[in-house]
Amino acid sequence: MTVLQIIFLGISVIIVIGALMTVSSPNLVHAALWLILALAGVAAIFVLLEASFLAVVQVAVYIDAISILIVIAVMLTRRAMGETERQINRSWLLAAFAAFMVFSGILSLFSQVPQLANTPSDLVESSEFYIQELGKALVNVDQSIIPFEVASVLLLAAMIGAIFIARPPERAGGDS
Amino acid sequence: MPIVPFDTSMIAAISAELLLLLLAGVILAVDMIWGSKQKDHLGWITAGGLLFILLISLIFTRPEPVERLIFGGMLRQDWLTFTFRLIFLFAAAITSLLSINLKGITGRGEYYALLVVTTLGMSLMAASADLIMLYLAIETTSIPLYILAGFMKSDDKSTESGIKYFLFGALTSTVMLYGFSLLYGFSGETNLYLLSERLTGGEISIWVLGGAALLVLVGFSFKVSAVPFHFWSPDVYEGAPTPITAYISTASKAAGFAVLVRVMITVFPEISLYWTSILAVVATATMTVGNMVALAQKNIKRLLAYSSIAHAGYALIGLVAFSELGIASLLFYLAAYVVTNLAAFAIVVFFANTVGSDEIADYAGLSRRSPGLAFAMLIAFLSLAGMPPLAGFVAKFYVFAAAVESGLIWLAFVGVLNAIIGLYYYMTVLKVVYLYRSDDDEVPIAVSRPAAIALGVSVIAVLGIGIASGPWLGWALDTASSLF
Amino acid sequence: MIPLSWYLILAASIFCIGLYGVLARRNAIAILMGIELMLNAVNINLVAFWRYLTPSIINGQVFAIIVFAVAASEVAVGLALIISIYRRKTTVAVEEINLMKW
Repeated sequence: MTVLQIIFLGISVIIVIGALMTVSSPNLVHAALWLILALAGVAAIFVLLEASFLAVVQVAVYIDAISILIVIAVMLTRRAMGETERQINRSWLLAAFAAFMVFSGILSLFSQVPQLANTPSDLVESSEFYIQELGKALVNVDQSIIPFEVASVLLLAAMIGAIFIARPPERAGGDS
Repeated sequence: MPIVPFDTSMIAAISAELLLLLLAGVILAVDMIWGSKQKDHLGWITAGGLLFILLISLIFTRPEPVERLIFGGMLRQDWLTFTFRLIFLFAAAITSLLSINLKGITGRGEYYALLVVTTLGMSLMAASADLIMLYLAIETTSIPLYILAGFMKSDDKSTESGIKYFLFGALTSTVMLYGFSLLYGFSGETNLYLLSERLTGGEISIWVLGGAALLVLVGFSFKVSAVPFHFWSPDVYEGAPTPITAYISTASKAAGFAVLVRVMITVFPEISLYWTSILAVVATATMTVGNMVALAQKNIKRLLAYSSIAHAGYALIGLVAFSELGIASLLFYLAAYVVTNLAAFAIVVFFANTVGSDEIADYAGLSRRSPGLAFAMLIAFLSLAGMPPLAGFVAKFYVFAAAVESGLIWLAFVGVLNAIIGLYYYMTVLKVVYLYRSDDDEVPIAVSRPAAIALGVSVIAVLGIGIASGPWLGWALDTASSLF
Repeated sequence: MIPLSWYLILAASIFCIGLYGVLARRNAIAILMGIELMLNAVNINLVAFWRYLTPSIINGQVFAIIVFAVAASEVAVGLALIISIYRRKTTVAVEEINLMKW
């Protein structure tokens, strides 16, 4: 077992524990903090995969923006569900069974694909090269400019909609 | 199929999308400048703009004689894209007409801008030829629709509708995305057409392909509200503002079918035997569940919700047939269903504006209060039920014919049985409208001009598609042949 | 070196833990957290496939970037809807959001 494999296993254990605590912690603020741990672990996985730009984006988008939004929403709605209240529904055993079945289904799919035992070939270029390639691909008309532009439209639309929905109605029974 | 490098003629191919973006910008700008009195005209601007874009795309976005992949393979310029784009633009224009004068919506720039953005997303869904683009287009359609469903913030049912739609949609689209990631992983390509070339070599076992297909089907079944992913639709349809219900049940469903048809036929022809059998079962269950539960409904929006589930089942028969005629009949069915359902929902909008109720029992005496409206309802519901000579009849006829042609006589038989059940509950509503009396027989139904135009256009389309079905079927056959 | 299958198994387990969270949790915000876990699993898949199978074609990373953008807009809209319903009914438990029967 190489050093890299040990690092990978360590990060994996952290991610899985973080994920398990996220879905099971009765205190939602704690759950959100566990989620941040799991997301940080995923950023480390991106570093292992030599996708350094994505690791930075993971930190900036997920850990900064999304997690903070979630924590704020948890705080805002705290009055709704006290910590004493049940956080899982009656059919949670069924849910666990379904998740387990999906997991084993996916694993049995993987066992059918031989090339998954591959180890990677070394990257031929430096990691800056791939960041440049990614940047160029996003604005190249013969590559990904359409998704890039549509994503910006989607973000703008989501922002307009979210602001409208989250703002309190102007007058009770009024025009909104 | 090679990817054509960029040239300026491709700008024309996406001119409809560019103009939609411009329209959304204009709406937002006007919304900021105008006072609240003038803002009532926003709906007219949206409808007019969409109609203009419809004309432009009819002229300028016609596909080339040979289908081609453009913009690095992100989009495909073909008849399927073209046909569906026209359907979406038509439905969006009708929807914005229906939204005018609706309390809580009229004069809301955000509403119309989001409506335009979701139309943009649908148009891209039909055009997508790449997993990246497909996922993004599906989300660009869904996310504005979640907001629009929950748009009436001071209405409990609408907020509830928005959140239910969001939770179901987000879960199913994530499962579908996992399927996409596996497809990319097993082939090393994101383009649907290149990907299918890699997958058809026979190196990938059919189990792996089948597993990915199942994951992808989860997301698509949600979009078309097929059993077992139909739970959301009655609640969302009942709670959402009625024009949005009309839009979700027509254009959004049609967009779901557009990607379903393209992905299943392009990526999974190897295992078509398996997925057509699964979809045959899904179609049977969808028709039966939709029709059976519709029998018991008291609320007209819920009744139309279950009826629209059943219609998704009929349309699926066309895909199960897996032939050119089958796909053509599916397209014809969708076009007929879209115009008919828009007409039906236009009547619901009218009625709710005056009476303030969606209960079927309150429709009693409608034929005396407004004979014209009752007649439009007669046409729309008979077309939904599949009576000749209306659009719904011809559409059902072609779908069943396609099933028989492909040797699926049992499926056609199930479809006919279901059509008979459907006839029963549509007739029950019409009985209330025509035979029952109510206390306010004398009170007329207020008719607002924009919604009347929307209703008139839809009813004419129902009659037109039904009586002169030949050219429309020819168009559908052309479109289907571009896929195989 | 680490075999590709390790990454995929990690992603599959995060995906299924997230799925369990979505199906079992009562709180809408907790459900949203489950969905975020599932999206992260997809991103691990995409980046791992890019690194191991086609490092010369950058599409896998582009896909991951698009997933980031969609996830951000999904969370913004989802939380706005949750706040909107909380304001009306002072609840975020999904089975109490049942004015209309399912």
